[in-house]
Amino acid sequence: MLSFIIRRTLSMLATFIVVSIVIFLMMHSIPGGPFDGYDMPLPDNIKARLMADLGLDKPLWEQYLRYMWGVFRLDFGVPYQSPGETVMGLIAHAWVPSLVLGGLGVLIGAPLGILLGMAAALKRNSWIDYVASTIATLGLTIPVFVISTLLILVFAVWLKWTPASGWGEPKRWILPIAAYAAVPMATYARYARSAMLDTLNKPFVTVLRAKGLSERRIVFQHVLRNSAIPMITIFLPMFVGIATGSIFVEKIFRVPGLGAYFVSSIEKRDYPLEMALMLLISALFCISYLVSDVLYALLNPRIRLGGKDT
Amino acid sequence: MTEIATTPPALSTPAAAGRRSPLYLAWRRFAANRAALGAGIVLVVIILMAVFAPLVSKTGPNDQAFLTTSLAFPSAEHWFGIDDLGRDFFTRIVYGARVSLGIGLSAALFSLLLGMPLGALAGYLGGRFDWVIMRIIELFSVVPPLLAALLLATLTRGGVWAIVLISGLFGWVNVCLLVRAQVKSFREKEFIMAARALGASPWHIVWRHLLPNSVSPVIVGFVLAIPLAMMLEASLSFLGIGVQPPTPSWGQMINVGMNFMYFYWHMAVFPTAALALTILSASLLGDGLRDALDPTLKGR
Amino acid sequence: MNAMAEAPALELKGITKRYDAQTVVDRVDLRVHRNATVALVGESGSGKTTTGLMALRLIEPSDGRIILGGEDVTRLSQKDLRPFRRRMQVVFQDSYASLDPMMTLGEIIAEPLSIHGIGTRAERGEQARAWLGKVGLDGSYATRYPHELSGGQRQRVSVARALILGPSVLVADEPTSALDVSVKAQIVNLLQDLQADMGLSMLFISHDLSVVRSLADEVVVMLRGRVVERGPTERIFTHAHHPYTRSLLDAVPVIDPKARRRRSFLSAAEISAATPRLRPADIEPQPLLDTADPQLVALVGSHFVEAIVSERG
Repeated sequence: MLSFIIRRTLSMLATFIVVSIVIFLMMHSIPGGPFDGYDMPLPDNIKARLMADLGLDKPLWEQYLRYMWGVFRLDFGVPYQSPGETVMGLIAHAWVPSLVLGGLGVLIGAPLGILLGMAAALKRNSWIDYVASTIATLGLTIPVFVISTLLILVFAVWLKWTPASGWGEPKRWILPIAAYAAVPMATYARYARSAMLDTLNKPFVTVLRAKGLSERRIVFQHVLRNSAIPMITIFLPMFVGIATGSIFVEKIFRVPGLGAYFVSSIEKRDYPLEMALMLLISALFCISYLVSDVLYALLNPRIRLGGKDT
Repeated sequence: MTEIATTPPALSTPAAAGRRSPLYLAWRRFAANRAALGAGIVLVVIILMAVFAPLVSKTGPNDQAFLTTSLAFPSAEHWFGIDDLGRDFFTRIVYGARVSLGIGLSAALFSLLLGMPLGALAGYLGGRFDWVIMRIIELFSVVPPLLAALLLATLTRGGVWAIVLISGLFGWVNVCLLVRAQVKSFREKEFIMAARALGASPWHIVWRHLLPNSVSPVIVGFVLAIPLAMMLEASLSFLGIGVQPPTPSWGQMINVGMNFMYFYWHMAVFPTAALALTILSASLLGDGLRDALDPTLKGR
Repeated sequence: MNAMAEAPALELKGITKRYDAQTVVDRVDLRVHRNATVALVGESGSGKTTTGLMALRLIEPSDGRIILGGEDVTRLSQKDLRPFRRRMQVVFQDSYASLDPMMTLGEIIAEPLSIHGIGTRAERGEQARAWLGKVGLDGSYATRYPHELSGGQRQRVSVARALILGPSVLVADEPTSALDVSVKAQIVNLLQDLQADMGLSMLFISHDLSVVRSLADEVVVMLRGRVVERGPTERIFTHAHHPYTRSLLDAVPVIDPKARRRRSFLSAAEISAATPRLRPADIEPQPLLDTADPQLVALVGSHFVEAIVSERG
């Protein structure tokens, strides 16, 4: 088990390093240096001194190592759009709204999705099965920004039940949370349904039925436990996936979170911030895959740890 | 014909029937799936409208022919109303389908061209080549496609071909994995061994056996890559770094429509609905094809 | 050419397969004479299938030689092997996996001809149809697909594909073990008839001794990669010496209820402990290896058994 964890960790670390190199190189392939954009071009000797001060005259690999050393100490440099603070400081205060809204969205959407999926599996081909499948398909195929737009149109513009956007009092949170909840709900509705159906069709469930166990005990004591593994393992990657959605949700609902900063970093070509956010999210992805791999191995007694991890 | 005394050649002649090829059976299963069939029909209608866009509407997509009635609500004359720059919105939406579907199809084709040979080689050769491909795929799996696409789009400053390229770059992974799994599972099958025992060249085995048996994953991979690419295009255009105006793109129209939403609902509703409907149909079609092709895909 | 005609159709000499440290097949010798059938028996994992696949060069042997009709084909490149491929063919156990699901039966049976560039497309189709008849299927099956057939019918198609090139050797890897009893007999009969027609030599790999008895001239028993007993079929069925062979024979269902036999099922540990011990006086005079390890010795005539030979027995 320990060697499995170590192997997965090393492999993920290697993946992350390659990803960081690729991102770094991509950032450097942007035409033009940081001092080329001004109306009054800087004299060449001053430019050279500035470049030297910032270490930009060094070979690429050294710049990369310096950057990663900074990353290691959580120093991502200074964002162009607000030079008064650091990238890290900006992220530190921007992640609160993202986490609150995204977290609430998952906490509401995931259980709803599980319930829906379970109901669909237990009452196959009933109306609830069709509702669940429809919700799952809609939530998984329609982009978050389309769902967000539709939510605003229906609930804020036509019905006028809630304010459309903003941050602050909790009633402004309703629509963004609903937008965030869509993906986890759809994901879990689909996963819970197929996991439950898989387990319900296993011979051991037939044996339990033959033994005369009540359907309720079969479902809650045996089926649920056996279907839980895939549902637990998709949780973290899904959570990180929500971070991607936050770009749209926060732009549309005007929430000052990480996603909103990501958008503005693109619009304002704020490369230090963009780079930092990319690295952060890739790292989160790596960690979440690692954790779910390990969880899967821990939860599933049958997994072969010696096998190839392809 | 040789006389075979002890073996009764009494096995019945097959009942008269049409060709029951595996693909025909898959088509029968697909046709029985009403959601997928409906989605397919909707998609065909959308494709026809996109192809014959000039016949469907009188004005061009960028003709500011109705400036005096800008932002007019839908009417019998202008089904989807007029947009902020005096263009017939229905025309814009129809031409938007061209962009969206065009990008979806080209990106899916690109994914196929990249993913199919790589998947087939990785599955057939195995070993080191397979290892390298799998590590590359792992890299792609930890980078969220949308974020990477955002970054790439900023670098390339958008444009249709950049988006096709980016979507293909992230779309090939699925195709590759599907084809690889299929080829891998067939490589050790007895009919491949029989072909080798007959002295068939690797080329013959790949061309006559492995590729025809990979038709299912290739079709599924291709169709499922379409909505993904359309989603990516719409998302990037929505953020203003995808298809650049005045080329009509639904994502871009939704972005503009958001600003008018409170007073001119049609500006947001129609592009949103068009995008949702198209992506949904393409996904349902892909899912239906996958379900229909799966039995042959699994071999038994 | 005369010497060639005398040479056995297929001969394996000291054929060995090692995967890493594990030896799956250990120095197996085999000789299939013209028009004869040699049965390779043993339980699953005994290395009998690996031996068959090595004979076909579908698995590369780690050691030993493969001699096909007097010619050594062990080291030939796949390209140089092609003409020899026509002379040795194979039928597998899994009739479904043996046929490409995307091809019609006509295409499947004609494929060997097209691989070897024989005839025009129309001639190949004609031959395929003829072969469908030879294996007892109606010619109209040519346009059907494998999934429309029963297991026995599919196995007939596999046989047709294997024999259409007119090979001299057929390796049949448990061709009947996935079939129902009645269908099994039909396939065995078909193989026997075609063997007589074509002068075919057969390496028949099976764990089904009732089939072996009706088909084989010689039986070779394998246990964990080694040959532990070999001999003429009747001799093996009546005078099996090795305890493993006897336990295999005892597992065969007895048709005559009166002819009850004492059954002696053995575990793996019992078998390896029960390697026969013989004195030189018990066996035919022959050169022996001076060793305490088990070796294959001639018991009577062509009946060989693996035993530990020592003066004290």
